[in-house]
Amino acid sequence: MNTDRIEELESLLLAWEDGTLDEEGIELLRAILRTDEKARTHFLQMQMLTAAMQLEGDAGLSLPPVDALRSDAGPQATSNARSRDRARRAYRLAAIVAGLLVCVLGGRLAWLEFGADPVTPKEAVATSDGLPTVSEEEPTARGIALVTKLVDVEWADQPGPVEVGDALTPGTFAIRSGFAQIEFFCGATVILEGPAEINLESPMLATVLSGRLRAHVPPAARGFSLDVGDMKVVDLGTEFGLSVSPEGADVQVFDGEVEVQNRSDERRRVTAGRGLVRKPGGELEETAATAENFVDFADLEARAQNQQNSRYARWQDWSESIRSDPRLIACYMFDEPESRRRVLESSLLPTNSELDGAIVGARRVEGRWDQKGALEFKRPGDQVRVQIPGEYGSLTFACWARIDSLDRWYNSLFLTDGYEEGEPHWQIRESGEMHFSVRAHERKTNKPPHRVIHSQPFWEPSMSGRWIHLATVFDIETGRVSHYLNGRVLDRNTIPENLLPESTRIGTASIGNWSVPTKPDASFAIRNLNGRIDEFLLFAAALTDDEIRDIYEHGKP
Amino acid sequence: MDQTSNTEDFIRQLAEHQNRLYGYVYSLVGDHSRAADVVQETNLVLWRKIEEFQSDKPFLPWAFAIARFQVLAHLRDRKRERMLLDASLVETLSAEAEEQASQIDSVREALRLCLQRLEPDHRELIERRYFRSMSVADVAEALNRTVGAVKVALLRVRRQLAGCVQKRLAAES
Repeated sequence: MNTDRIEELESLLLAWEDGTLDEEGIELLRAILRTDEKARTHFLQMQMLTAAMQLEGDAGLSLPPVDALRSDAGPQATSNARSRDRARRAYRLAAIVAGLLVCVLGGRLAWLEFGADPVTPKEAVATSDGLPTVSEEEPTARGIALVTKLVDVEWADQPGPVEVGDALTPGTFAIRSGFAQIEFFCGATVILEGPAEINLESPMLATVLSGRLRAHVPPAARGFSLDVGDMKVVDLGTEFGLSVSPEGADVQVFDGEVEVQNRSDERRRVTAGRGLVRKPGGELEETAATAENFVDFADLEARAQNQQNSRYARWQDWSESIRSDPRLIACYMFDEPESRRRVLESSLLPTNSELDGAIVGARRVEGRWDQKGALEFKRPGDQVRVQIPGEYGSLTFACWARIDSLDRWYNSLFLTDGYEEGEPHWQIRESGEMHFSVRAHERKTNKPPHRVIHSQPFWEPSMSGRWIHLATVFDIETGRVSHYLNGRVLDRNTIPENLLPESTRIGTASIGNWSVPTKPDASFAIRNLNGRIDEFLLFAAALTDDEIRDIYEHGKP
Repeated sequence: MDQTSNTEDFIRQLAEHQNRLYGYVYSLVGDHSRAADVVQETNLVLWRKIEEFQSDKPFLPWAFAIARFQVLAHLRDRKRERMLLDASLVETLSAEAEEQASQIDSVREALRLCLQRLEPDHRELIERRYFRSMSVADVAEALNRTVGAVKVALLRVRRQLAGCVQKRLAAES
């Protein structure tokens, strides 16, 4: 490429954009384009970049001005930008429709005017919907407490089930039955026994509306307090129990002491082994403590262990049955007993050791349960090499993963070596979106290689270190691609027919990384996952939503 | 397929491909408001030809073909105004413009990530020039620099961005 001409082209183009290019300049620019093919390609690339910047500007997604960084950035800003983007798209769609309406007569659009809105913004957006703007500020997370254990929990009515590892923001936390352990950011730990409802106020304060709880408050968290109606229980560094019902409130101290303040500002100290009952009328009465009425931490630990054992056993039963599903073309349960062999045994039945994976670099670690294995991918070379022969149609990928962070542009779940016609790539982008693509045309054609289908961003740093279930279903008949997180659909989109391959194939591939067959000593793109995988299934079929949900339900830790 | 769902499908496809159409048209006319006009005209023509629309056929090639006619019509109608390209160049560039424009979502995404990697003062240049549509002269005034210096800096940053975006696009395929 003649760099002088390219440079000339670029400055002519800049002048054109600025409205300062005269006739002579325009003629010069055209002459370059007429005579130089490389210049034409470069010109279009520059134009596409400018168009993309215009679209970004229109979408109101420009970065925060350098000189006025907003303070509310972080995930919030991202989702604001996203909803703004979505709103604008919806607006744009409305504008298109309105523009069309102006020149259309009659009832052809009656459904638009009288029917229910047939095109929701969510469906109407293109694949670029909701790309996150990567925040320039340091990421922030919100919350005043963490959920650290959930045993046999049935949820009362509240938005969405909470999971272990979730941060709780101020607001209601209610369970119908079972036990929840909550660690406040001040250092106090509370076990809640259902049915119970509390209101989280701050890292140092919660209001107990009903139910039974035990609180452990180490010296560093001294001053942690619980409100019960108009009574306040201030902990002076101890362990105590509290039970609240319509009949009144009952505070019992097992260790150390607490101070109870009531409406008339009366303060009473309660020491270890003693309790205080507040009658419905408000009067206080001393009692002896009965610690056995409150579940303690060791007991909860044992219950949690039991729950884990039974869930693991349930998963084992299920995994035995799924292994012989005729649609499976690869199945790795990562559950073989600890061995020195650097082999990831194929779990497919009937057994076929040809499908065994070769472990490179990745370490054997603990999986979803203490009793179960997993592999940890950390370094740029860590991966499992597999070889899966055959030619297929639809595909379903499903795996349990624990992502520590998204360090690379592309973080691999499963990538075929290279990327030839019919070969799928399944990975996560640094923006936290799932990314599925399958190459449609041979490399030598100059047709576009594929249509990438990504999900909305699903991963954020607060999910770091938590086991999640990821799945993607590709239906070759309809071109439809569905992405799933924890058994629920994240997004669906369709690959247009002209970008669908005739069939799919795998050949040699890597779990958790990308290996491009290159010349010796050539450099390679770094796409290793930073995290763990402890179950990987690949079906030569498009599974249904219910089937994906079933895999998740049987495998959740 | 009944008419309602065909219409619905048409509107959905039209909405989905707006950015691609915009990228295609902009690359050939090189002006934001003209490009927006031509895309709107293209939408109307597509709508009038809804009978030709079949939801099982790829929408985009059809839409690009109409958009090309609209770009040519736009050049013809505005003979007196200054245009970036002439009709024969539009024809020459059209096929490759289609191909590049179909990837505009990937370009946008790569662009966002590439913008993050710019030096803050470079990003500010791009911000002012492209997101706030300031002229080079205005940018120079705002930053208290000469027009020449801003031009040189803009050219350098654009080249850097373009290189970064191309690298990411290559990585994607």
